[in-house]
Amino acid sequence: MLWTVVAILFVYSLRDTASREQAGLSILMEPDGTGVWRDLVAEFNSRYPGAPVRLIEGPPATNTREDLYSTSFLSGDASYDIVYCDSIWVAKFAVAGWLRDLSDRLSESDRADFLPVELQAGSYQNKLYRMPAFTDAGVLYYRKDLVEKPPETFEELFDLAATLKTEDRWGFLWQGKQYEGLVTVFLEILWGYGGEWIDTETREVKLDSPEAVQAVRFLRRTVGTVSPPAVTTYVEEDTRNIFQNGRAVFLRNWPYVWTLMQRSESPLKGNVGIAPMAHAPGQISAATLGGWGFGISSYSRDPERAWQFVEFITRPEQLRQVQQRQGRIPSRRSLIPPEMLPVLTSARMRPPIPEYAQASDILQRWLSAALTGSVSAERAVQEAARETSLLLTK
Amino acid sequence: MLSREPIRKPQALNLEALFYWPAAMLLGLVVAYPILRTTVLSFTQMSLHTAFQPEFTGAQNYLRLAFDSRFHNSLTITAAFTIISVALEFALGLCLALTVGTFIRGRGIIRSFLLAPWTLPTAIIAVLWAWIFNDQYGVLNVLLLKMSVIHTPIAWLAEPGSAMASIIIADVWKTTPFVFLVLLAGIQSVPRDLYEAIEMDGGGAWAKFRYVTWPFLLPFVFISLTFRIIQSFAIFDLVYVMTGGGPGGATETVSVYSYQTYMRYLDIGYGSAQVVAVVIILAVTAYVLYQLLLKRYARLF
Repeated sequence: MLWTVVAILFVYSLRDTASREQAGLSILMEPDGTGVWRDLVAEFNSRYPGAPVRLIEGPPATNTREDLYSTSFLSGDASYDIVYCDSIWVAKFAVAGWLRDLSDRLSESDRADFLPVELQAGSYQNKLYRMPAFTDAGVLYYRKDLVEKPPETFEELFDLAATLKTEDRWGFLWQGKQYEGLVTVFLEILWGYGGEWIDTETREVKLDSPEAVQAVRFLRRTVGTVSPPAVTTYVEEDTRNIFQNGRAVFLRNWPYVWTLMQRSESPLKGNVGIAPMAHAPGQISAATLGGWGFGISSYSRDPERAWQFVEFITRPEQLRQVQQRQGRIPSRRSLIPPEMLPVLTSARMRPPIPEYAQASDILQRWLSAALTGSVSAERAVQEAARETSLLLTK
Repeated sequence: MLSREPIRKPQALNLEALFYWPAAMLLGLVVAYPILRTTVLSFTQMSLHTAFQPEFTGAQNYLRLAFDSRFHNSLTITAAFTIISVALEFALGLCLALTVGTFIRGRGIIRSFLLAPWTLPTAIIAVLWAWIFNDQYGVLNVLLLKMSVIHTPIAWLAEPGSAMASIIIADVWKTTPFVFLVLLAGIQSVPRDLYEAIEMDGGGAWAKFRYVTWPFLLPFVFISLTFRIIQSFAIFDLVYVMTGGGPGGATETVSVYSYQTYMRYLDIGYGSAQVVAVVIILAVTAYVLYQLLLKRYARLF
C-alpha cells in the first residue's frame, strides 16, 4: 500500500518535471482578478512564437509570494523564470545571486522614460536587476464635499478629522496592522517630521530621535480618537472599503484607489480629492515609494526568451492596458496621470539593504507594540534602533 | 535435515525483521535525515552573508538564542498557548467522549457531526475565524451588540489579550474533536462487566469513572495529550493567517519566528538552532508525559 503510494508519487514527480520542461517559462504573480495578465501573456505567446510563457497566480499577500520565490531559489530550482518583483526584494535577491544583471539590456529611450527613482529602486550597487513596471506612492485622499482645502500640517489633519468625525464616519484611516504597510505609513509621518530611519549610504540607524518619537505619538493619538480602534489591524483594502462606503473623511492609501474612485459605480465619484501626506511645520511632505517590476531568475534555462517577455510586458502599450484595467500607475513618465506626477517624482525609497525584511520586521513589531499601547513611544524607537543597529553591524 | 527447518525460530524472526525494513527506511528518509541535517546546520552560519555556504561557528547560534528576547518571548507565548488550549481541548473532549460514549443510538451521526471541524483545512478555518472576529463585519460583534452585551464593536484581533484568546478559541474549536475521538476509542474499549461489578458493590458514577474508566483511559490520555502538545507547540497556520504574529508580536509563536528566520531573513543556521531547541523541549515534555501516564498505567496492571 505504502509502496504503491510512493511509486505513484515518484512517477507523478517525473511527469511533473517533464510537463514543466514542455511548459516553457513561468512567472509567479498576484491573483489576476481582472484577467489582464492572462490576456497579456496570451498575446505575447501568440505574437512571439517560441517556448510559451505560463502565468502562475500566487497568493495576494506579497510577503507570501516573496517566500515562495525564496523557497524555490534556495533549492536552486528553475520553476520560476521571470520574477514579478517588489522593490524591497531587489537588494536581498541580488545579494543572494538569484537575479540576472539587466544593465546592458536597458535601452536609452527606456532609461529616459522610466522614473529615475524606479530605476534606482530596481538596482543594487549600480547594476539593474529589475525592469520597472508600476510605481506606487502613499497619498492622502480626502472628501472634497467635506473638506475645502486639504490639510498641510499634521495638526491640521488631526483637527479636521476630529471636527468632521460623526457617529458613523471616522476621521482618518491608515494601515496599522503589523505588516509592511505599517512601515510605509510610518515612514511618511517620520519623514514629514524631518526624521530618518536608516542612512542608506553609511547603514547607520537614525531612528532613536525626537522626530521618531513624535511620529509614533502622532499615529498613537489617532487610534480610537479620529481613527477606529481597530485601525491597528487594517490593511489597504479594509481602509479602502470603509472610505468608499462614505464612512471616513481622510484615507492614506496608494494610487490604485484613485482609479477605483473614478469608476461610475463608485458612490463617492467626484467627491474625492487627492493630496500629498501632511507634514510638520517647516518640513515637506513625503511619500513612500513602492513599485513592481520584472526580473529574470539566475536559474532560468532560457534567459533570452525571459528577456523577450520582460521587454514586451514593460512596453508602454502593455503597461497602459494594465493601467486601464487594474488602476495601477505605470513607472513611465509618459503614462503617469498629471495629478499624480508631483507625488510620484518626489517619492522616497525605503532603504535598499539586503537585510531589509529583518529591519522592517523589527520596526513593525515595536511600532505595533507602541500603537496598541503595550510600550511607550520612546521605548519603541529606542529598542527598534538598538536591534536594527545590532543587525546592520553584524 | 529438511524436517528441522520450520522449527528454527531465528530465520522466521529474520523474515519478520525484513518486513520492517521498508518502513524503517522511509522513516529514516523523511524523519531522521532532516533532523540530522538541521542539527548539523544549527552549528553553522549559513545566510546571505556566507552566500548560503555553511561555515562552522560552533555553539554561536545557541549563544545567540540565549540572548534573543524575541525568541524567549515567542517561547513564553507558545507555552501559554499550548497549556491553555490543550487543557481546554482535553476537558471538553473528555466530557464529550463520556457523554457520547453512553449513547447507543445515533452515536455514529453525533460522532461524524462532532468530527467536522477537525477534517477542514486549518488555513481555511483560520480565515473563517478571522471573519467571525472582524470588528466591522464580524458575526461575533453583531451578536454581542444585538444582545446588548457590548455597546461598541470590539476589535478582537487588535489587542494582545483578545487576539490570543481568539486564536485559542479557534484552535479549541478545531482540535477538540481529535481529543474526543481518541478518548471515545478508549472508553469503548472498557469491558462492560467491570461497570456491572462496581454497580454490584454499590458504587456510583464517580466510582465507575475513577476506578474503571480513567485507568483504562490512561494510554489514550497519553496519546491525545502528546499529539496535541506537540501540534500546539508547533502552531503556525492559525496564527499566520489570523494575526500574522501581531499585534506587537503578542501572538508570535516559535514556529512563526522560525519561519521568518528561515524564509524571510534567509538565516538558515540560526533558524535551524531555533528548531533544534524546540525539538529538545518537546522531547523532554513527551518523556515526562510518558513517565507520568504510561508508566503509571503499566504499574496498574
